[in-house]
Amino acid sequence: MVRIYFRRIHKDFAQHVLDVPSRLLALLCFPLLLAVPLTQTKVYPLVTMTLATTMAIFAASWDLLVGRTGQMSLGHALFFGIGAYTTAFLTKFYELPIVVTIPLGMLTATLAAVLVGFPSLRVKGPYLALVSMAFPLIGTGLVFYFRDVTGGEKGIWGLPKFFPGYGRVETRVGEYYLALILLLISAIIVYKVANSRTGIVLVSILDDELASKACGINVVKYKLMAFAISALFAGLAGGFYAHLMRVANYDTLGLNLSFLPVILTILGGLGTIYGPIVGSYIYYVVGVFVLDEMLSIPSEWHILFFLAVVILFVLKWPRGIARFVTDKLEDLSEEREIEERGPHIWKKYRRKK
Amino acid sequence: MHLLEVENITKRFGGLVAINNVSFHIDEGEIVGLIGPNGAGKTTLFHLITGFIKADSGTVKLRDENITGLAPHKIVNKGLARTFQVVRPFRHLPTIANVLVSLKSPRGSRKIEWLKTPERKALDLLEDVGLSEMMMEPAEILAHGDLKRLEIARALATEPDLLLLDEPFAGLNPIETDLLTKSLQTIHLDGHTMVIVEHKLHALMKLAKRVIVLHYGEKIAEGTPEEIAKNKKVIEVYMGTGK
Repeated sequence: MVRIYFRRIHKDFAQHVLDVPSRLLALLCFPLLLAVPLTQTKVYPLVTMTLATTMAIFAASWDLLVGRTGQMSLGHALFFGIGAYTTAFLTKFYELPIVVTIPLGMLTATLAAVLVGFPSLRVKGPYLALVSMAFPLIGTGLVFYFRDVTGGEKGIWGLPKFFPGYGRVETRVGEYYLALILLLISAIIVYKVANSRTGIVLVSILDDELASKACGINVVKYKLMAFAISALFAGLAGGFYAHLMRVANYDTLGLNLSFLPVILTILGGLGTIYGPIVGSYIYYVVGVFVLDEMLSIPSEWHILFFLAVVILFVLKWPRGIARFVTDKLEDLSEEREIEERGPHIWKKYRRKK
Repeated sequence: MHLLEVENITKRFGGLVAINNVSFHIDEGEIVGLIGPNGAGKTTLFHLITGFIKADSGTVKLRDENITGLAPHKIVNKGLARTFQVVRPFRHLPTIANVLVSLKSPRGSRKIEWLKTPERKALDLLEDVGLSEMMMEPAEILAHGDLKRLEIARALATEPDLLLLDEPFAGLNPIETDLLTKSLQTIHLDGHTMVIVEHKLHALMKLAKRVIVLHYGEKIAEGTPEEIAKNKKVIEVYMGTGK
């Protein structure tokens, strides 16, 4: 009798709460993230978590472009770097407030995406990956050429804080919450775009470009749109990063930063938008708190470790951690009918039935 | 004024002349069959008309408007839709979203009636081809026959004046063939003009009122199905000379 009762409770719970696993997951994770400053009162862990949040925005924007549209970009650092440099330049030389400079950095990144998109979207697949990789390198070259503006190796440094006049820890706590709010807003926007009718067209380009053309879709226009939206949020992440680190240097255009979203997205789940966000937190928490502090492995080895993990994921769980968890939750609530691969946009329609 | 007018179109692939000086026209409301042995250039002709391949010479006119050399998506938005011989579904998308892609195109979205959501219209189109039960399933799991019909629904969603069907009956069993024939007849009654490339002459002869025969890139005959069935040249091409 009691068992039947409990089974019914479990069934109800499974049907009504677990039915929306991704939202449930977000619901569970967000308070956890909000509570981080309660447990961590030192600067270093707080900055790490803020960095994880910033890179989550960056990786989610990459996922919209690559996971949903299939435009393999390995030069996403370009937009990050342009966002960072524009913001730094405007703050340092024109002393504009941060509220103005970061949006201007985002717009510059979008503009750059459209300019870069026109030539690079003519090529496909691995060629696009190579072409897109070249642009941040050109950017790095320009940074070293215009030394008097960009500061060369030192970069544009000494940028103002987000919250001047507060203590060290308070500033970092404030920055952390600001980053969380920005992540929430950008994640919702990217997720909405990815699941809108426009998002459907983007996935159709990923699946079969020729068939999209036969459906009357201007493929170049939609690819450029994906590039632009993606760059907008990469620029936001870049601008925030510059003020977080108080410096915009050539690292923000570096190859490491171009590959970071690839690692984060594959870790979390390609084409999900929420996957890279989960991946980003796992990357930084495992990297800094476990590998660095507990096992004291030097940071040069971290990238090796994570690349090994990524190879393992590609071979064993190509759907990523986030989707692995949501699948398990779904298995609790109902038998999954189809093992679906790639972006699971169709779920939205299933719920409407 | 013809709906579609193809004049002296030619395409060479290196030394091979795939389409040699072919001219024909399609009138409003017709169903025209395009037949020919393997390698006759039927699919190439479709690619040329719809802009997926650029022609070496010749013109294609849709309602007296020159559409030669336009980008494929522009031609679709002028009202000339096509399906593919080998099905090309969007595998990650549910069946209904496959149709929604077409409804997102300029022409497709323009023709949606007031107070009607694209989803509703997509469902109507799926009903027309008998796929409404599968609307939520990812296109990945659909059977070949269903995918063929999905291609047609997707093409219809762009509200074409002229529909080019590239072997719609290929790989279908007799029952599916009958179903599709009925669907195509309904679509024709709705006022769509069609050109059908087909190997299954039996199914085609039921639908087409006029047949064009291609052989090695050249038009060798044109006429009603009865005329074509008696045409000596066509029989020679299909059966050999018997010597």
